[in-house]
Parts: sequence; C-alpha cells; structure tokens
Amino acid sequence: MNHEADKVVKFTINRFDPQKKKHYTSVYNVPVRKGMTLLDALIFIKDNFDETLAFRHSCRMGQCGSCGILVNRTPLLACYTQVLHLESDSLTLEPLPNMPVLRDLIVDVQPFFDTYKRITAILMEPREKRNKLNEFMQIPEDLKKFWDLTLCTKCSICYASCPAAIDDRFLGPSTLATNYRFISDSREGCSEARLKAIRDNIWLCTSCKSCTLLCPKQVDSSSSIITERGLIVETGFIPRTVNDVLTNVFKYHNPLGIHQNRRTEWIQDLKVSIQPTAGKADILYFVCCLAAYDPRNQETARSMASLFNKLGTDFAALGAEEWCCGDHVLRLGEKGLFEALAEHNISRFRSFDAERIVTLSPHCYSTFRNDKPYSEAGLQTQHYTQFVAEAIEKGKLKITKSFQKKAAYHDPCFLGKRNEIYEAPRRILEAIGGLELVEMKRSKENSFCCGGGAGRVWTEEALPEKRPSINRIREALDLGVEALVTACPFCITVLEDAVKVLDVEDKIAVMDILELLQEST
Amino acid sequence: METLTHDIVIVGAGIAGLRAAIAAAEANKRIDVAVISKLYPVRSHSVCAQGGTAAVLREDDSCDLHAWDTVKGSDFLADQDAVEFFVRQAPREIITLEHWGCPWSRTADGFINQRPFGGHSFPRACFAADMTGFHEMHTLAGKATIHENIHFYNEWFVTSLILKDKITAGLTAIKLKTGEMYAFRAKSIIMATGGYARIYEFTTFSHTSTGDGMAIAYQAGIALKDMEFIQFHPTGLVPSGILITGGARGEGGYLINADDERFMKDYAPDKMELAPRDIVSRAETMELQEGRGIEGPYGPYIALDLRHLGEEKIDERLPLIRDVAIKLGGVDPVKEPLPIRPAAHYSMGGIHANVRTETPTRGLYAAGECSCLNIHGANRLGTNSTSDCLVFGAVAGEEAAKHASSASLQALPKKKVLAEERRVFEEILGQEGDEKVAEIRDDMCRIMSQDVWIFRVGDGLNNALKGVVALKERAANIGVKDGGRPFNTGLVAALQLNFTLDLAEVTIASALARTESRGAHSRLDYPKRDDGNWLKHTLASYAKTGPRLEYLPVTTTKWTPAARAY
Repeated sequence: MNHEADKVVKFTINRFDPQKKKHYTSVYNVPVRKGMTLLDALIFIKDNFDETLAFRHSCRMGQCGSCGILVNRTPLLACYTQVLHLESDSLTLEPLPNMPVLRDLIVDVQPFFDTYKRITAILMEPREKRNKLNEFMQIPEDLKKFWDLTLCTKCSICYASCPAAIDDRFLGPSTLATNYRFISDSREGCSEARLKAIRDNIWLCTSCKSCTLLCPKQVDSSSSIITERGLIVETGFIPRTVNDVLTNVFKYHNPLGIHQNRRTEWIQDLKVSIQPTAGKADILYFVCCLAAYDPRNQETARSMASLFNKLGTDFAALGAEEWCCGDHVLRLGEKGLFEALAEHNISRFRSFDAERIVTLSPHCYSTFRNDKPYSEAGLQTQHYTQFVAEAIEKGKLKITKSFQKKAAYHDPCFLGKRNEIYEAPRRILEAIGGLELVEMKRSKENSFCCGGGAGRVWTEEALPEKRPSINRIREALDLGVEALVTACPFCITVLEDAVKVLDVEDKIAVMDILELLQEST
Repeated sequence: METLTHDIVIVGAGIAGLRAAIAAAEANKRIDVAVISKLYPVRSHSVCAQGGTAAVLREDDSCDLHAWDTVKGSDFLADQDAVEFFVRQAPREIITLEHWGCPWSRTADGFINQRPFGGHSFPRACFAADMTGFHEMHTLAGKATIHENIHFYNEWFVTSLILKDKITAGLTAIKLKTGEMYAFRAKSIIMATGGYARIYEFTTFSHTSTGDGMAIAYQAGIALKDMEFIQFHPTGLVPSGILITGGARGEGGYLINADDERFMKDYAPDKMELAPRDIVSRAETMELQEGRGIEGPYGPYIALDLRHLGEEKIDERLPLIRDVAIKLGGVDPVKEPLPIRPAAHYSMGGIHANVRTETPTRGLYAAGECSCLNIHGANRLGTNSTSDCLVFGAVAGEEAAKHASSASLQALPKKKVLAEERRVFEEILGQEGDEKVAEIRDDMCRIMSQDVWIFRVGDGLNNALKGVVALKERAANIGVKDGGRPFNTGLVAALQLNFTLDLAEVTIASALARTESRGAHSRLDYPKRDDGNWLKHTLASYAKTGPRLEYLPVTTTKWTPAARAY
C-alpha cells in the first residue's frame, strides 16, 4: 500500500507519563491517504515517529471496543473512523474522560467493566425449562425487540460521556441497556430481580442522551433507561424523592407542589394577558413551572415577558391553566401521568389557537416537538432563543448596551443535543457588544449536562463531588470566564447551586441569556 | 517477584478461554480458576468471527454428514475419531449458549436459524446475523462474570510457561498496568490464545493475534503440529484485509472477475462459491495471476457481488459487513460489489494436543485456534472454528478441573523464573540495539506474504526460511525505545515479535518439508496430494538449530481418502 499521501494532518496528542506523573503533549505530522483510519495513523506514529506512544487497539473493525478516544473533543472508535472523513488538518487526541488515565490514551476501564457484575448479563429465569434439550422458542419479531441493544461492544464511550457516571453508584448507560436487553428478551421469565438491581441508582440519569448520540453502534441506552424507570414506577419501589416529584405533579400539576392559583405570581406588575380572558393572541408564551414558581427563575420569565412587550408582540400565557409539560415526569418513567398532562395542555392550546408557542424552557420545547401526543398535535413551537435570534436578525430587536464580560455558553441538553439548536443562542450572544464569548471545552454535540434533567433537579442527593453541575462549573472556571450563560431554567438552578457549593460566587455568575438581554436592550 | 497461585490458569479470554473457564468453574465449585488475558475479555479476536457456528440441529442433517464434510474439507488430514467426537458435541454447545441467552437468528417459527456455508452439504451454520462470534463472546462473558470462582487478570501479558521435570508448574506474566512481572503457580494450565495470522500483512486478524500461547508452549518444549497449514480466507476486504464473512456467499453472493464471470464454475462447478475456502482462495489467486482481476487503486481484486440479495436481506443477515464496508471500505454492498482478495485467516496447526485437549506435558491443555486437535486437518471448513472453540473449550475446562482435583501444585523452579525476568527486562527491555521492532515485523510479513502465501515453491520457502532466520538474528539486536514500565506497549510488541518469528520459522520449515499439495498447503513444485508419503501430521519441536520435525500417523475410522471434488 505505497500510496502518496492525500494530505498531512497534524496530530496533537495529550500524553500522560504515570511514572513521572506528568501530563504533556506531543505533536506529529502524519501523511494521510484515503482509507487510513485514526488507528492506522496512531500505528503509523508509533512505528515511525514515537515508539513510546501508548494506546489500546485490537480488532480494527469496530467490534472489540478497545480503541475509544476523544478526537477534537468527540469520543469515537479510532479504528472505525477515517481520518479524511473528519475533514480537519489538525486533530487533538485525548484519552476518554470520566475514567482515570493510566498512560497516554489508555484509561482505567476496570470500574466500567465492574458495573456488569452488578447485573446479570445472561438469562436468569427462562420461561421454558432450563433442562430443555433443544432451543427455547423465539420468533424473529421477538428477537427484533431487543436485537439493537445486543450490539453494544462495551467500548465505554457512553460511560465516558455520561454525567451520571461520575457517581460510581450509577451503573452506566450500557450496563443499564444490557439489563433492559434481558428484560425485553421474550425467553426471560422474570424481570423483578433485574429491576431490583437498578432501582436505587437509575434515577441519577439526567436523560441528556449523550450515550445514545455518541454510541458507535447506535445503541439507544437513553430510551432503555426511561423504559426501565417506567417498569420500576409500576412496581412502586421508587425513592421518596422521585415519589415526591410525581405526587406533586399529580396533585398540583407542577413538580414544586405549589398551588396552581399562584402560577401567575411571577407576573407582578408586568403587562401579560392571560387566557381565556385574553382571547386570541399570536403567540402563546409557555412559561414552565420552574420559571413560574421559583423566585430565581421568575426573573427570567419576567425578562421574556418584557421583551415581548418591548417588541410589541401579541402574546398571552395560560396562567393557572398551564400545567407542567410533563417532560421530567415522562423521563422519570411516569408515562400515564405525562399523557394526562399533555392531553390537558393540548386541549388548552387548541382552544387558544395561537399561531405558535414560545417556550422558556428547552424541556417544554423538546417534549412538545418530540413526544406523543404533543408531537402529533400539530403544534408550532419555538424556543425563546429562536424567537429572539429571529427578532435580532430582522432588526426588530436592537441591542443598545454593551456587556463587558468574558462569558461561556452552556448548551442545555434538551436544546442542543436533543434538538440541535446550537446556533440561535450563540447568535444572540454574538450580537451583544463587549461580550467576549468563549466555547466551553465540551460544547455543542459534546456538551456536558448540568445534571438537572429527568427530574434530578429535584431529586439530587449525590455528594457535591459526584454532581455533574460541580464538574461543569469547574470547567467554566478553568476557562476564566466571569459568566456562564445558558438558556434553561433547570440549568440555571442546578449550576447556580453548584456555584454556591463551590463558594465561587465572587468569581462566576450563572445567567440566562434573557437576563443578559434585559441588561443590554 | 510475587507469586500468585490458582488451581487452574487459563491463558486467553476468547471463546475457547471463556468456555473453558465456565466449564472448569462448574465442574467443581471449590476449584479456583484464573483467566489471564492481554486484553479485556470482550476485546479478544473471537468477536470478529462472523458467519456462524456449525452444529447438527435438525433431523434431516446428521453427525455423520457433518463429520464427512469436515474430513473431506480437511483433505483427509483430520483424525476421524476426533472429528466424530467434535461433531457430536457441537449441538450441545449451541443449546447451552441459547439457554444463557445468545441472540441466535431465528426461523419464522422460532427455531435457531441455520445458513449454508462453504464445504458443508447441509445448512448447519447457526448464526447471530453476521456477528456470531461477537454474540457468543458477550454471552460467555456474561456467564463467566457470575462465577465467583473465576478470577480475571485483564491486561496481563504472559511471557513464558514454566515446567518442572516436564510437568506443568506455572507461568510468568506482566501486569501491563504497572509493568511488574509475577509468577503464577497452577496445577492445570489451559492455553487458549488464538491464532497467529499477524505474521502476514494482508490478514483478517486483529492486531493482537500474535500466537503468544503457541510460541510460549513451543519455547517450553511442547511440539507444534501441522503448522504449514494456514487458511487463506477468500474474502478479505481491500485494502485492510478485514473479514467479509463466508456467510455473504452462504446467503447467495457471487464472486466475479474482470470478465464479469462467476469464475468458480471453472473450479468447483457443483458447489461454486460455496466450495471450501482453500479451493476458492486458490481459484481467486489463479484469476488474479492470469490477469482477470479488476484493476483498483490497491492492485487487482475480485468482486464480491451481493446486490441481488437486496437491501432488506443484507440488513437482516449481513448488517455488520455492510457497516464495515461503508465505513472502512467506502463501498455499500447494496449498491456496489465489494473489492476482495484472499487474506490470511486461520491456522489449522497449533499446540499438539489430543481430543481431550491434553498436550504431552502433564497439566497443560490447549483449546481453540492455538491448539491442533487434528479436527481441521489441512483445511478447516468455515463455521467449524467457533464450534471447535466451544466444544474443546468446554472439554479443556472439564479435563483441567479433573486434573486439578487430584494433582498437586509443583514448586516453581526459581532459576527458570529469574531467567525469564532477566530475559524480559534485561535482554529485551534493557537492550539498546539499533534494530526496530516495527521494521523487523514488517519484513517478516513481507517474506511470509511473498513466499509462504497460497502457492508455495521449494526455492521460495528456502529463501523465506533464510530470511526469517536472518530476522531472528536482527531481532536479537533490537532496542526498545520505551524505558517506562506501566503500559509499555513497546515491550509487548518486542515480545510478540519474538513469538511470531518463531512461529513463522516453524510454518516455513513445516511447509518446506511437506513435498505435496494438500488442503491449504499448495506446492507448485509438488502439485498433487501424496497419500503414500504424506498422510501424516507434522510435529515441530524447538531445537537451538531450528525446528526439529517428526511425523504422526492420521487416524481414519470410516472414510478412506478419496479425490476431493466440489
């Protein structure tokens, strides 16, 4: 295979020398030809430039799961990725996160493999008799129900990207998916023991979906976890914290457990029409429970309403008729309750007949767009960042004051990863004069969850060191930013709490984009 | 040096190693089993086995027929008593894996599905799409994890086998994480380290398939058997050599030359693409040599055309190879034929052992590809290797447990342990020679690919032997640039080079001596099978001057060697 290089690619590799306990980087210029994988390139470097470079590899066809690394912050299998497909002249290679680095690109995967000891990865109690002399029966349709989950290679990429996995009580996405693979195997007779193995830790998952999105084999661990939670909810063996959230939503239609009549308190002296008295309006402003009730986020809710007013937008809110969108409830496994909430909200939307819905929270936005029955109700939904970015673009919204600060944007998972809205919030921030916007080390597709999703904002009980929010704030502090800006009330709550826990309120502020706009328009 | 003690130590955690561990752990719950692997269990090359696992499951098939197919496929070099035992055990293994939860592909009415495969006269390849080995491995790993008497040493590299008075005493291994060497004592040791096709460049094998167990046994004085028989798989994806399963032809794929012809009609008119691998690989090589290869950027190739199977069938039966071909070959088999060439794939030879997996050394067992139990002879049939690993992995585990229940631990000869420590850390790691491991490795692969490939001639083999002996001399003067201990992959590469050079040498010496053509061993200067002189197994033993060859008779029970036509 002596073919001329198609181009030269610069490989910057983050190294670690365990004997000297020293982190350092090495740079190599690798001649790359068509068909060359990242693994081929690593082997080329080792054979020709530097024998000391340490990395794992074996099958070189995506089946053994050895060669997971971070490439320009994205975790992938080195052998299953062609260098030219990355369309970059410069690549930074790092070991997978969430696991201790042993040397160079090699991390300690033992804790990851140990999680499999806490479940049973074979049939436990087959429906048919174990001593049967021939095979158990299983029709192709039943095999299909769990087949996709069997494709996991245990490469640990999901584990490395999982915000919940920083707490070692959590089993990790692939292990939970494997557990579900056996629950949904028609040959298996019993799921009780399997649910028991996970019911005290599965709630740490924030439904950020990184596991599913980054899996080289497209194993949908994220959905498996939600289904397992649903099964646990059916058994009733759920932690008190989770039970409280579900009970509050059931009783009060919001997770905070505050009476619906107080849902409009955030408005104070602002001019906001409330349905049904409002009659028809162009835009239905869906406020979100957290923004409506929580004093910290009420500010954001008010900023948005002021902005509508400033723009002369014809808008109205549902007031006490707005019920929790149900996103967190659905992801905690309470599908029945979610559907009841959705049906109520959809009926309100129908009677209101607004042109579109603008949500404050990415969670409401995401569930309206993607989860049945909302997704089939023909709703036109925008997240506020889309609405605002549009207004700026069309010249309707003028930014008058500058904001002299260095800030980073934290992508909310339900806006970014789940709905690919990465640009609208950045366009708004770029329009603010004086603001020096820097990217988080982990951003956009590779963003790291704040730790508040799927109800964890209310159920958090992990030690501070094990919380994704603490991890995320540290990442922001490393960048030296004065503000971490985001666009989600849950991110705000969880991240601000982390700032307090870390006692760095004098160093960094957590702000919603709307608050910045409030100061700049 | 710290010494660790277990009743049984299994080296290798592929299908054979894991199956052995489970069988040993179940045979006797009080027995303490260690599994040492230079990888994590599900990283072993077994996960690359794609097409299926052969076993007689249906009434219209029979063990006799499976045995006959295997014996004929072996070009009559297989021991027929061993083959008969093997085919009778295989169905039990399929059902055992099924009962543990292996996601076998199914027939419409819910039975385990079976597909046709090269050389088999009945569709008896049980499969899990085209990831059969992968699913067997994950099932076995799930089962092995449950046993409390199985202890895993993941990412430990075994360097030598230690005997005391020709009885198994233990071994030495490096814990890669720290780079420290440990001695292990065990009553029984099972070698299950897989193949060594990494002596070639164009191979279907994982980078880690370097035949460690074979070389370690050979260096300790245990003979290697039938090492001249290397299988070349007909469909290695160009340019990487990644395996495209024989199941692709089993499902109906065509092999096409530059004249747009299904050329197998000229070589195996009856079985066509489903002839055994040695025959198809030779046919492809003839086509390429006679100028009927299709020109491509990486030289001439043969086309494997699956388009007529349709997207639905390809996605259901061959999803992995579609994904691999798109991601790594840039070709979608639904739309275009795949560029393929024969690739080094399997070693019929291995550590000399009998049907109970016993080697001549008491307490030492061998199973899977690293062993030679005489069931594949001169050419293995596709899907018989994973069956082999399962059947004889289980046998090895049971036999090793039986032995460990009655035998006592041997004292480790201190001198040997210290000598090994010196060899590894002073003679290899500490040496500051000018030679580079990667260069010698590449030269070895070049020699093997040039002169020890599908067609062989005496002169070429002689040159190759000289070449490899010269490489061994150069290898004595290597310098490992990496001085560190933790995860010293440079040291591992140097040790693997030492292993593969010995195995290459044995392969060539065995091939040079066998002046006939049989199964996968084709001598252009001796083009005919010669039952009068060569219906026998080659045994190669270590000697300072190079491999010492002896021969063993082949056992025939029912079937007299006959002409082999397909």
